[in-house]
Amino acid sequence: MASSHSVVFVRHGESEFNRDNIFTGWCDPDLTTKGVAEAKDAGKILREYGFEFDIAFTSLLKRAIKTLYFIQDELDCHWIPVTKTWMLNERHYGKLQGKNKDEVAGKYGPEQVQLWRRAFYERPPLLEETDEHWNGSDKRYADLPFIPAGESLDDTSKRSLPFWHNLVVPALRAGQKPLVCGHANILRNLIKHLDSNLSLDIKELNLPNALPLVVELDENLVPSKFQFLNHGNGMAPKKRSSHS
Amino acid sequence: MEARYTLVLLRHGESHYTQKNLFCGFGNDADLSDIGVREAALAGQRILKAGLEFDLAFTSVLKRAVKTLFLVQETLDCHWLPVVRTWRLNERHYGDLQGLSKTETAKKYGEAQVKTWRRSYDVRPPVLDKKDPRFCSSMAPYRDLDPSIIPVCESLKDTMERMLPFWHDEIAPKIKTGKRVLIIAHGNSLRGLMKYLKRLSDEEITKLEIPQAIPLVLELSENLQPIRDYYLASEEEVKTAKAKVGVKDNVK
Repeated sequence: MASSHSVVFVRHGESEFNRDNIFTGWCDPDLTTKGVAEAKDAGKILREYGFEFDIAFTSLLKRAIKTLYFIQDELDCHWIPVTKTWMLNERHYGKLQGKNKDEVAGKYGPEQVQLWRRAFYERPPLLEETDEHWNGSDKRYADLPFIPAGESLDDTSKRSLPFWHNLVVPALRAGQKPLVCGHANILRNLIKHLDSNLSLDIKELNLPNALPLVVELDENLVPSKFQFLNHGNGMAPKKRSSHS
Repeated sequence: MEARYTLVLLRHGESHYTQKNLFCGFGNDADLSDIGVREAALAGQRILKAGLEFDLAFTSVLKRAVKTLFLVQETLDCHWLPVVRTWRLNERHYGDLQGLSKTETAKKYGEAQVKTWRRSYDVRPPVLDKKDPRFCSSMAPYRDLDPSIIPVCESLKDTMERMLPFWHDEIAPKIKTGKRVLIIAHGNSLRGLMKYLKRLSDEEITKLEIPQAIPLVLELSENLQPIRDYYLASEEEVKTAKAKVGVKDNVK
């Protein structure tokens, strides 16, 4: 069955905190040199498969914003409108942000950490206003209704789904071809919601840095196919027309 | 009159076309040269040193401006800024001169004619044929536009007529709500904006040059009239930069 729409999701390239195995959340580390190369490579892969985009969405965090920029550079589409939204920020990891993952596991035990990471309603220890990583005075969040102190996966859904319905769906319905450049947990959360029928076996969806994920959707915007793209991964290069 | 708002204008860094002294304009999406990349980063440094911050940025759909903005944001560590891109801030359309060498064109038509085309207020360059592959309607950023509004050549007056509605509808209201705005655009789209804001005459505007990649700060009154404007660079630096892009007798 021919798909009516498609969206491409990409997790940002390796960040300094990824490299150093640190819980990131709303912290704003830069891409590493490797991360920049990964971002450019994601662009090259998309170009290889003939992808064109006419709108992009990203978070307020530079690792995603810059990954998007490098992809746009490879695809020669710096002209496309880019919407940056806090709704696409990574899951807020509260007091764990800025802390080494192994040290946290050592301190709280691996079972507790696994609970924080994967249990739907579990919030990590919450940040306080006096904490180093408190975002309350960060200008970029000045217009937010509230500043999170830590999020459960359920909390994340309360913004990933509005992001999808209020921003991406209207673009898809208008015939646009969106590129969404975000973060591991927020994208995994969103994709799992889209696949609520569990028609595709993505229970443990692992999103590697900067590997484009194409999601094809039917006319009701229900996902029909997921495909990670890599150089020459068996798929014949598809020519996609820039107009629908 | 007291200054109420601060607006920063910045012309993009050197492009490959500037380097080769070609007419670039609306329809050529030239990339920044290596020098242009350094100029853009330096512009960011100047803004950083001046302690200026922004809430919102506007730019064109041409990559030399979009990438200059990215490099400035990198220096200021403000990648999160909302950025609005619009073809209405694009460089002026140079008609049939687009892509041609400025020197060769001067040899062909005479320096006086080229100077008139480049700096007069309402003289249009030769028209581009719509069947010419340089006509923009098939290019990605303009595909959804009514082809009848896509330029085939522009005087500065024409550029202003398609740029100012965006200023009035999108930029001015944001400034008035207190948003600190950065506009990164092109020589003529910025000359047009300066003519409007400073109420320059048709004669005065022919003498105004805007150097590449040197931030221009405007302190605006309550009703957006410039009270003061100055470049974030020494007089000497501004003079040298103007000489690089200007017509000869305009350099002061």
